[in-house]
Amino acid sequence: MKNQWMNILIGSVRVKAQGKGVERLLNACVRNDIVIWNVKKHSDHIVTFFIKLSDVKRLRIVARRSECKLYFVGKTGFPFFCKKALSNTGFLLGICLFFVIVFLLSNMIWGIEIKGAKPETEYRIWKELKRMGIEKGAFQFLVDDPETIQKKLTDRIDAITWVGVEWEGTTLYFRVVEKEQPEEPKKIGAQHLVAKKKAIITDMFVEEGQPLVSVHDHVTKGQLLVSGIIGKEGQTKLVPAKGKIFGETWYKSTVVLPLDATFRVLTGKYMEKHYIKIGNISLPVWGWEKPKFTNYEINVQKRPFRFWKWDLPLYYERVIFRETAEVKRSYTWEEAFAKAKELAREELKEKLPDDASIKGEKVLHQTKENGKVVVELHYQVIENIAIPQPIVQGD
Amino acid sequence: MVKKWRQKMKRWITDKLELPADIVMDLPRITMVGQIHIYIENHRGLLTFSDKELRLLLKQGQLLVRGEKFVIKTILPEEILLEGKINQVIYIDE
Repeated sequence: MKNQWMNILIGSVRVKAQGKGVERLLNACVRNDIVIWNVKKHSDHIVTFFIKLSDVKRLRIVARRSECKLYFVGKTGFPFFCKKALSNTGFLLGICLFFVIVFLLSNMIWGIEIKGAKPETEYRIWKELKRMGIEKGAFQFLVDDPETIQKKLTDRIDAITWVGVEWEGTTLYFRVVEKEQPEEPKKIGAQHLVAKKKAIITDMFVEEGQPLVSVHDHVTKGQLLVSGIIGKEGQTKLVPAKGKIFGETWYKSTVVLPLDATFRVLTGKYMEKHYIKIGNISLPVWGWEKPKFTNYEINVQKRPFRFWKWDLPLYYERVIFRETAEVKRSYTWEEAFAKAKELAREELKEKLPDDASIKGEKVLHQTKENGKVVVELHYQVIENIAIPQPIVQGD
Repeated sequence: MVKKWRQKMKRWITDKLELPADIVMDLPRITMVGQIHIYIENHRGLLTFSDKELRLLLKQGQLLVRGEKFVIKTILPEEILLEGKINQVIYIDE
């Protein structure tokens, strides 16, 4: 006897046969390899039995040669269940809805956890995340990928040195490493102040220590400016020398600037296309037009869809076309020289500390060659030239 | 006459060679579990069937099973499994 489960799986039909010689019909079935079971006789001419769904056609052929009439009175098994389910729209709709809901929910952000940040920093991160559209209930494929989030966060919040961004299921984890905020100056050991470079001293503010030079003195690199050893001879004391010694220093810089230059710049106009990608096939979802820009850059962002906890081989793809334009810049000789000087000045300012100022500049040399200008400049800068030098005990 | 002689011959051979009788002589093999199941192998077809009686064709003669609430659980070309309450199993010679 075959397994009952098999019959349930492939589906079975209950047949009622009516007429003379039902036994002959049963024999004919058996001889034709039609499996029958649960044969019951209800009266002299009526018999019911079960056959497999796949045998119904053959039973009809067999029955045509007998004197019996067939009635199909019941059906059970998986194929019928499916049929019934399909005809029941509500049920089917429910199943579809279930999958849609699970799909949507698996693609949402359900939790954001920030670890290792101080409350203020955490608050700023929350605000920044909100600005980027990352919050509970947002779709995962619409927000940036972790690397971009990481980059944006570290760029926008100066209090963090590094932030680790990681997906774990539907939760986004941030591990933050904060910058050490400058704390109160540590106790400085005894130190001298020495010159950082060659200069002429213009101004001195000594908080502590014994100044050894005065204004208008010419100092060389490494020369002792303020001594950390104070007191009369024999009663000396070591102190950390502190103060600012401003001196005039000199810088030389050379700038080369071409007269003509072309740049590719983004005009700020862009358009987006959205695709759903399966393997190599892209199905456009939104944005069917061709980009109407003549020159553009293409930026593709690809994010997988998820179901439950798995990444599907299904991607959401956002293609951004940004319009670019070529900008030509050309200077006259005078403009080029002026621009070169400006550039040099800015470059120098960036290098100098905040308390430094440029006192004067002098053009040493300026030439035109092959469509370029070469300018050599000399700057006089007032800056703090004192740097500490610890006094090693036992010297 | 020849048929009977052949039958005797077969019985003698099975006796002497200790061969299983149901195979050599095409006899039915009947297995019963109490009164509730009867399993008959080597039958030659269904003659009559009702909830009180089952008549099977054998190679020689017929087999009559009487009882109540009969249901044929399985029927295959040479096997049949009957369920119900079995009261009698009768061989009918022709």
